[in-house]
Amino acid sequence: MKRTYVAAAFTASVVAAAGLTGCSAGGGDGSDGSVTITIMETKQTNIDAISKEIPGFEAEMAEQGKDIKVELIADVLTDEQFMTKMTQQLIAGQAPDVLDIGENMAISWSSAGYLAPLDDYLSEWDGWSHYYPAVKEAITRQDGQVYSLPSGAGVLNLFYRKDILTELGVDTSQPETWDELIGRLVEVKEKTGDTPIVIPAGTAWGGGTWGEGFMPLLGGTDTEFYDTETDTWDLESPGWLAVFELYDDLVSNGLMPVEDLQNPNPWEPTKYEKFPEGEIQVAAQGTWGWKFDWGPNGATPIEGLVEKVSTWQFPGLRSGDKPYGWSNTGGGYAISEDSENKEAAWEFIKYLSTGEPLAEQLVASGAASARDDLDDVAPYSEEPQLLQAGEDLGESVFVVTGDGAAQIGQAVASATELILSGQADGQQAYDAFVKDATDLLGPTLVKE
Amino acid sequence: MTTLVDVPASAQTATRPSAPRRRRGQTWPFVLILLGPSAVLILVFIVLPAVYGLWLSLTNTQLTGFAARDPKFVGLDNYTYLLTSADFLNSLGQTGTFLLFSAIIGQTVLGMVAAILLSRPWIHGKGFFGAAVLMPMVVPEVVASLTWASVLATSPEGTLNRLLNIFGGEPTAWLQTAPMMAIILVNIWRGLAFAMIMFQAALEDVPAELIEAARVDGAKAVQVFRHVTLPLIRGPVFLYLLLTTISTVGVFGLVYFLTRGGPGGQTRIAAIYIYERALQFSQIGIGSAASIILLVIVLVLGAVYVRLAKVEV
Repeated sequence: MKRTYVAAAFTASVVAAAGLTGCSAGGGDGSDGSVTITIMETKQTNIDAISKEIPGFEAEMAEQGKDIKVELIADVLTDEQFMTKMTQQLIAGQAPDVLDIGENMAISWSSAGYLAPLDDYLSEWDGWSHYYPAVKEAITRQDGQVYSLPSGAGVLNLFYRKDILTELGVDTSQPETWDELIGRLVEVKEKTGDTPIVIPAGTAWGGGTWGEGFMPLLGGTDTEFYDTETDTWDLESPGWLAVFELYDDLVSNGLMPVEDLQNPNPWEPTKYEKFPEGEIQVAAQGTWGWKFDWGPNGATPIEGLVEKVSTWQFPGLRSGDKPYGWSNTGGGYAISEDSENKEAAWEFIKYLSTGEPLAEQLVASGAASARDDLDDVAPYSEEPQLLQAGEDLGESVFVVTGDGAAQIGQAVASATELILSGQADGQQAYDAFVKDATDLLGPTLVKE
Repeated sequence: MTTLVDVPASAQTATRPSAPRRRRGQTWPFVLILLGPSAVLILVFIVLPAVYGLWLSLTNTQLTGFAARDPKFVGLDNYTYLLTSADFLNSLGQTGTFLLFSAIIGQTVLGMVAAILLSRPWIHGKGFFGAAVLMPMVVPEVVASLTWASVLATSPEGTLNRLLNIFGGEPTAWLQTAPMMAIILVNIWRGLAFAMIMFQAALEDVPAELIEAARVDGAKAVQVFRHVTLPLIRGPVFLYLLLTTISTVGVFGLVYFLTRGGPGGQTRIAAIYIYERALQFSQIGIGSAASIILLVIVLVLGAVYVRLAKVEV
């Protein structure tokens, strides 16, 4: 009988020990005064860029007598996967100390209280005065506070294959209107049989459908779709329907690769295969296309990129609209509200957002500087496309939005999916969008 | 000389416990120690989350946005919303179609056919055939999805399109033109092995003399199966239907990786709908309510199967 109790006690001990082992977790604070902070990156170029900066930061902190270590959590994910995963971690209080996030995430998480406000840190930092006023406006959230510091800024334009269009004899001057551009695209289609333009659309593209496709088109023709006075979305603003009708025109004329856009990871066959091969000739794309997508170390390098590819601004959509670039500045580095090492995390963000470390990151990811004092800092100073994008930033269009941006993005994705699958025309897609968006936003976020 | 001394029964009881009671008394701490950890784990990781999920379904909890700061009790509003939502009802319809054709008809019928074929003494190469059918079962879901994404790829390089090309067929975007059919076929492919194994085991338990007697009485193969074999394996068949119903209603990865519920919501089965609502749209309250509704539907189906099978589970 004694043996039975011994066996039972042993079993219980093993189970208890295993349970306790599972409960234990790595700590951030060292008892000797050292601090380890964590940062998560989900894009390979950013992973490479940040890992390169960590030794310099740790050395600089050591010079200041601070023992701060940085642990990089490298996890290659799409933005949608990252947002889903990180939302759970933020709720559970298990998020990394420093997050590198997009605009929708900054809006959604700051309003939920998951991010730490940076205003107190910024007010004591002389670097803050070098950020462009438009950037400061774009990253100030509804409650008047700043929760993320942009690692860079981008300008979205239409990138086009200059070499192919010239060879086909198609006009490559800046198109003034979408009607003019559609005429050229039809000409390309007749000569090649290709679907010549890709603009993010549908559910498979995730948040990009809104942030890199629909919103830049909408903001260029209608800046009233979000009411900052009441913090509500005006779903009856006329730009919505105009953009849905543009998508419908492009699809019904056979100008968009609808099958590719409905497959999972639609950017792969379009931006990473057909555009580099010249089978798609025009793509809505941000500044990062020069590096992240098609640069020498990008996802799919295009040899002789700057000779083969050039950019147009988005043409005017409705009567009276002028061509424009769309600026993208709303995300950046943020600190988790539950971080126990906020001071150390802020030190790291400051380091990443200053001088050469920032210049190296901008070049790696293909972003323009959100600061006015970086144009002479190498290697950024050696990148004419990025410098040009920085100049364009001041003239680019941007509309500050607020809570509900993620839900609007979902409703737009679903409605454009209806156009892609041939289930709706522009008007029907707009109607479906209004229904979905009203449903997802709830009554408090829709303008009456 | 032996002296027998009678001890009164009452004295026996007073001095020594009866054997079964003593055994019970001495073993319960041992049982408690062994079952305790499992019970605690089940309580912490299954029962409490389920109860919490039920509570969430009665609130307007959101994961992001200002609404996440102040969730409120909304009673049955989420249920009312879902049961009058065309999108949710449509997703239940898609789930029903997926379940009926891939699990109940596809896996069960083909699994039975495979099991019967493998039980025939004249079949050669049973090992190879069995291994081939089993292989999809051991492949991880993500790998299976990516494999089929390659097979059904839109481009002319897709495996199926290459095969078609041999016979002069044009490349087809299978996941756009027939998305539901595609995920049904993939799920049949994946679940066939489990059905076959269960039915093979059941068929082995059917007494050979009963089948022999039926044949002697002049019954044909189909009649033997219909009137002798099938009634005898009814329990395992319904048990399989119960298990495959539960697992098929819960299929997520296979569909998510192949179609993400598209195109145009044509494959938005309930699991995808719940994922979208709860995690993508951050409406965890509505997502929880949808999960509870789905759970109730599966429980009702399970109860029907158990009643039809008259088996103990």
